Amino acid sequence: MQEYLILLAIGLPWLGAVLVWTAGNGRPRWQHGLAVASSVAAACATLALIPNMSAGVALRLPLGGVLGDFTFVADALAVSLANVATIIGGLAVIFSVSYMAGEAQLGRYYAMVLLFIGAMVGLVLSSGLLLLFFFWEITALCSYALISFHNDDPAAVAGGIKALLITQLGGVGLLLGALAARAYFGDDQIESVLRATATLPATAQALLAFGFLVAAMAKSAQAPFHTWLPDAMEAPTPVSALIHAATMVNAGVYLLLRFFPAFAAVPGWRDAIVVVGVITALLAALMALVATDLKRVLAYSTVSQLGYMVYAIGAGAIFAGEFHLVNHAVFKALLFLGAGAIIHSLGTRDMREMGNMRREMPFTAATFITGAAALAGLPLLNGFWSKELILEAGQAAGPQWAYWLMLLGAGVTALYTARMVWLVFLAPAGDRARAHRAASPMRLSLGVLAVGAWLSWLLAGPLSALLAETLPYHDLHVLSTLHLIEEVLSHPATYLALAVVALGLVAWLARERLKPLTARLSWLARAARAGFGFEALNSSVVWLVRGSAVTIQPLQTGQLNWNIAGIVAGLIVVLIALALGG
Amino acid sequence: MQYPAFVWLIFLLLGAAPLVYLAGRLARLAPFHSESAARWAALIALLVAWTPLFSAWQQLESGPASFELGSIALRADGLSLLLATVVVMLSTLVVLFSATYLEGETGESKYYAMLVAMTGVIAGLGCAADLFNLWLWFEAMAVTSYLLVAFYRDQPASLEAGVKYLVQSSTGSVLVLIGVALVLANTGTLDLQEIQVSTAAGYPLLLAAGALFAVGFGVKIAMAPMHTWLPDAHSQAPSGISAMLSGVVIEAGLIALLRTLAALAGVTAAWGVLLMAFGVLNMVTGNLMALRQKQVKRMLAYSSLTHVGYMLVGLGVALYAHEVGGASGGFFHLLSHGLMKGLAFLAAGALLYALHAAAGSHEPLTISDLAGAASRYPLAAMALSVALLGLGGLPPLVGFMSKWQIMVAGFATHNFWVEALIAFAALNSVLSLAYYAPVVNALYREQPSAQVAGGATVPVLMQAPLALMMIAVVLLGLWPALVQGMTGAAGAALLAAFGG
Amino acid sequence: MITWTPATVMVLGVIGLLAVGLYGLLTVRNLFQIIVALQILVKGAVLALVAAADYVGQLHLGQSLAVTVIVADTVVAVIGMAMAVQVKQHNRTLDVKALGSLRR
Repeated sequence: MQEYLILLAIGLPWLGAVLVWTAGNGRPRWQHGLAVASSVAAACATLALIPNMSAGVALRLPLGGVLGDFTFVADALAVSLANVATIIGGLAVIFSVSYMAGEAQLGRYYAMVLLFIGAMVGLVLSSGLLLLFFFWEITALCSYALISFHNDDPAAVAGGIKALLITQLGGVGLLLGALAARAYFGDDQIESVLRATATLPATAQALLAFGFLVAAMAKSAQAPFHTWLPDAMEAPTPVSALIHAATMVNAGVYLLLRFFPAFAAVPGWRDAIVVVGVITALLAALMALVATDLKRVLAYSTVSQLGYMVYAIGAGAIFAGEFHLVNHAVFKALLFLGAGAIIHSLGTRDMREMGNMRREMPFTAATFITGAAALAGLPLLNGFWSKELILEAGQAAGPQWAYWLMLLGAGVTALYTARMVWLVFLAPAGDRARAHRAASPMRLSLGVLAVGAWLSWLLAGPLSALLAETLPYHDLHVLSTLHLIEEVLSHPATYLALAVVALGLVAWLARERLKPLTARLSWLARAARAGFGFEALNSSVVWLVRGSAVTIQPLQTGQLNWNIAGIVAGLIVVLIALALGG
Repeated sequence: MQYPAFVWLIFLLLGAAPLVYLAGRLARLAPFHSESAARWAALIALLVAWTPLFSAWQQLESGPASFELGSIALRADGLSLLLATVVVMLSTLVVLFSATYLEGETGESKYYAMLVAMTGVIAGLGCAADLFNLWLWFEAMAVTSYLLVAFYRDQPASLEAGVKYLVQSSTGSVLVLIGVALVLANTGTLDLQEIQVSTAAGYPLLLAAGALFAVGFGVKIAMAPMHTWLPDAHSQAPSGISAMLSGVVIEAGLIALLRTLAALAGVTAAWGVLLMAFGVLNMVTGNLMALRQKQVKRMLAYSSLTHVGYMLVGLGVALYAHEVGGASGGFFHLLSHGLMKGLAFLAAGALLYALHAAAGSHEPLTISDLAGAASRYPLAAMALSVALLGLGGLPPLVGFMSKWQIMVAGFATHNFWVEALIAFAALNSVLSLAYYAPVVNALYREQPSAQVAGGATVPVLMQAPLALMMIAVVLLGLWPALVQGMTGAAGAALLAAFGG
Repeated sequence: MITWTPATVMVLGVIGLLAVGLYGLLTVRNLFQIIVALQILVKGAVLALVAAADYVGQLHLGQSLAVTVIVADTVVAVIGMAMAVQVKQHNRTLDVKALGSLRR
């Protein structure tokens, strides 16, 4: 049963991808229908996996020889993220039915989206490193193809290629770690890494631990690799929801969650994670504060929230990190799809050209503001519970400076969320055409996700129990939902955090009074607008590579005599090298 | 007398070549007034050739087969048959592809005859069991390819590429010949296995002979800095020939080099290091040169340099550490590169045909010409995208799996420098996407270029090989075990030849 | 002090021919002369083969190799000459500098 469900969960979206592609762009109704049907079917398969979880290898496809076996596992970590991928992915597909209506090349769009969903499910369900890396790279391929879906737009092409190159660069870390694991353990099973990393020489441990960390940072857009994520906003908005909530960025956090028990003892690893998480969470929040493009604000907020998850893992709070991952997926998908509805209706992404959308798109406004409240961490919404859990764990286990900075980050999050909601929904509208209301497939997706933002935290108890049961290497204790309520509501840190969040909201309301202070901080705003120099780091790498290409190009002279000289030079060098070293 | 199957394969192809030419020329007289008979004859010859090829693989199960005729000694092991398989496969597809591509060109019969002859010669090259015979097959391969590269005799660019190729390649083969003389003087024999027995470490002249082989064959393999002819020849040849050159001719040179180095295995342990060093140089040169190319075929030609680099790394690891995985990984990459690069050149050729050649223009195909090609030429555009992304090492395509196999072997050595080399190769693979990806983006634009808007259609016969190869690239990416038997046999044969 | 045995003469001959051929390939700019230089290079290699075979006492082997190489290489020379003729027709010159349109 389990093995069939695993094959279905990966195979159905992939089959759908092939079918949509072969249906051809001449039959858009078929394409929409097939895409929705196969993504919903995949969601059913992953839902059916929930009562069928287990810790061991669930499916083994022997390849033989150096390639080893392809193995899959259906434990709680894998199945929960597979469900996030298929359910949120499915909602994004449903949303696309109206968002992408009338677009050319729908076949390519849906095929890549479905391939993406299937690859993400495969990624979390694989229990071998080759297979993990295989799916890891497919997600990179799909994100590239989808970000640059509008190939006629140079910005979209550049954004797609940037995402591809940066995540691939990080992927090299995963590759090297996987190769080292294979060389030492003789197989590429994740289970071997979890069991026996402590027995490896220190350099091999460090290569594995930090290689995987680099890969996770690139995929989950942690500084300094985060620069691809804002540029990925050129993608059609449902794709942004897919990348930010359902698939791509979750992969990095997943990797850290999965391998935490193996690397927790590697010197410097957890500290490095905490530092990366704090820096990313704070800087991205500041960048969100000054951005004017609605989707960029959301993109930076994703980067920042991922920083929280990474920080939680560094502090050892595995469950808090996983819980926030799930909750974030729900409310961030909601925010992106809401933003998509607005952008689709107005034709602009600039928040300064919006305003007053509360009256023009009331349903979208209600759902979007729900998501925003969850992002800010307002009580009773799902973001509240997981963020409090992270902060409490950080206060208890992590370094104190990091805790205070993350607390500050929570305030900044509230501040930029308030700014965004104000600019889009409440501020007086300028001179522009009136927006039209969202179509029903859009409303369906938004409604489901808004309900999710209110309720998904109730899953904490069952999720925790299943995680503790099926992850033998993770030291987890069961936390029932009632316990969660009790723990969060009775902890003083909760009220401290709420006070900081309230301070953030008040700061926005009182922004006129705070003018003198903001004027003093204008240098910070400038730095944030400049992306804190990370973009310059990117460009210098590009400049270096391009420069070397320009430098060596003239060596291809095209002159026959020089070509012969190349042969003679090669011979002389080889002769000398062999005379010295043979 | 009962000959082994591989001999039939070689004789069949070599014997068919003049018949193909004759068929074409006779058909031109009457009553058809066209040379198309040549292509059908070539296709039949190549299809028939699959039969002895299959039986040769079956016979391999009972050990390598040998054959002697006078002073010609042939011996077929896994390595020979892998090369034969790649060349017969590519050649069959290229003949299918070329049918319309070359329709009505002068010298059509010559083209098909040379192609069949080259296929037979390369199959023979893989089986040569004696040093001089190896050189002779190698030279014969070069001669057939000269004529094919300079097929468009009245085009100055194609002529220029042909001249450079001829002079440089002949210089390389002279170096090989001097190496043969040195080996003969030192060992008194030309048989590859006997040479290995009678050599020992520390003969400086044999070291020099190895260097001459490395550089001489290195010209054909396009090891930097002997590679300068390659971007010209591969981009100017007719696209089917570009596919053959990149997909199998440079690899045949590689196998010739491996055979000679195997004979000199006892002289020094440095051969593996030498190959790895050239691997690094090739990856860097190929990538950096390809990065700024505007012509599709020239970019593909430079990318062949990089891919030879990956193969050299895998084979170098195999020789350096007696790591059989490196050899089978290197040969898997040889096969997968043959498929992917063959597909890339054929797909680029189909687009070149539709956008330029059908209208009689000899303009090169640039990346900007490709804008929007996907809506008019969905299959060719998808084939080119699949080939390029596969070359960039993305799953679920075969390039990912073959690179993985090479890299696994590198790490299995537990040697820091080899591991660093693998890391470097991985970074190069990322860099290569920086020039593959923009081509894919251009193909899927909506706004067509002027050439696409006014382009001709791609005939079905040209699309068939594209579809076949595309399926193979995806299928082997999802299920690489399908060819593990072949590449494993080739890897084992290589290590056996090196006495490992 | 060099003793002038046939072997030394042949070795010196080989080195001389190879040096002349390589020098020609590196410096000469006329395509016909380049092909001639190539032929000189090949003749050096042929002499080397004969000398090597003689050295190990298998002169007959060396002779048959030499004949084979000469035949094979004549084919190359013919193709090269044919190309040179075409080049001359197109470019009106045999200067290889004019064959530099493909670069970078």
